[in-house]
Amino acid sequence: MDFFSKAARKSPWLYRINAGSCNGCDVELATTACIPRYDVERLGCQYCGSPKHADIVLITGPLTARVKDKVLRVYNEIPDPKVTVAVGICPISGGVFRESYAIEGPIDRYLPVDVNVPGCPPRPQAIIEGIAKAIEIWAKRA
Amino acid sequence: MTTDTLRTLLTVLVFPGGLFAMALGLALKGVERRAIARLQRRVGPPLIQPFYDLIKLMRKRTLIPDTANAFVFLAVPVAGLASMAVAASMIPIPGFYEPSTGLGNLIVLFYLISIPAVSLMLAGSASGSPYGAIGFSREMAIVLAYEGPILLSLVAVALHAGAVTGQPILLSLTEIVRYQQEHGAFLFDPWMWPALLTYLCFIPANLGIAPFDIPEAESEVLEGPLVEYSGPPLGLMKLMSVTKSVVVLGLGIALFFPNGPAGLAGLFIFLAKCLVLVLAVSVLKAAVGRMRIDQAVLFYLKWPELLGFAGLALVIARF
Repeated sequence: MDFFSKAARKSPWLYRINAGSCNGCDVELATTACIPRYDVERLGCQYCGSPKHADIVLITGPLTARVKDKVLRVYNEIPDPKVTVAVGICPISGGVFRESYAIEGPIDRYLPVDVNVPGCPPRPQAIIEGIAKAIEIWAKRA
Repeated sequence: MTTDTLRTLLTVLVFPGGLFAMALGLALKGVERRAIARLQRRVGPPLIQPFYDLIKLMRKRTLIPDTANAFVFLAVPVAGLASMAVAASMIPIPGFYEPSTGLGNLIVLFYLISIPAVSLMLAGSASGSPYGAIGFSREMAIVLAYEGPILLSLVAVALHAGAVTGQPILLSLTEIVRYQQEHGAFLFDPWMWPALLTYLCFIPANLGIAPFDIPEAESEVLEGPLVEYSGPPLGLMKLMSVTKSVVVLGLGIALFFPNGPAGLAGLFIFLAKCLVLVLAVSVLKAAVGRMRIDQAVLFYLKWPELLGFAGLALVIARF
């Protein structure tokens, strides 16, 4: 049983939710996965298209009013055990959109956030470190 | 009688169907992912990453959507995997393993190979998701496009093998392999090259490899038929597709280039051939993007179909 839980830890699949982000952080997330220099696949990660396949969820954006219900719905579709990573300053505090009438964030009012990766946008190294921390948390939950 | 039944069960469940084919498929998938990473100058995942993924999926929760037909939704992964285990036990490993004739011939194998595609279609339509429905229609379109060429290729080989052994048509894979081991592989016979090329064209579409991974395109339709799957059923679906790659590559080896030494060395030669094919497939996957479904269907209805007819005509004209 211990062997199986050790093996299962090595396969965290990532899912991206865009909660009204300006796309800057999403470009950084794509960079983290796609270019040779910052390869997250070596940690066993894999971006998946469906929230139902995911283990670690990366949320970007300040949670705009229009997108709030959809984000919560997609978040609930992800099977447990899951770990949430807030990428960029927007989901943490609202960033440049702070106190705007159009946003409902910060995101931890609605979702349990496990790891914060601040930055506007964060560097790929920071995102990878955030994912590595999320994997540790996920291993304890699994 | 009982020992025969037991032996057949063992070939289906353990070697070379079932466990062996699944383990080989997962290992080949690991090689493929690593090879693609290296081609893109990345580090890539460890070679046994697919095993980790499978263990992880087996321990996750299963979610069944409200809109899904729960019975079909949960039954198709099992049916698809079972058909692939049986199909894998019908693939001869030249010089090492010969399938018993009771398991069936080339026609049965052809139908078994199309079952995973049917499972994917059923999975997509039973999940009740719009993305699943798009995946379903795309899968059906591409299946209709590639079934013709593959059938023409199989018939060309069977007719040729029949003509040279003095029968109207030879449908036993074991006999086809034996003939080639005695008289040289079809790979080195220019008359068979159109049929060979048709088979090679069929591999990427059947295995869902770029540029023909359209039904399961994760960036457009969220992996299509698999969108609503999670946990163990998703693991079975992934296992089905890797086992299918062993069956399809193994069938190609048996049809065109089964030559190799007898005994354990034959098994290693077979594995080496699988490895070469997987590396070729990885280069293709890393080199090209994804086609649109209409382009892919038109491509298959034009070129492989034409090649298939040419191969069949050559075989008929020759004898």
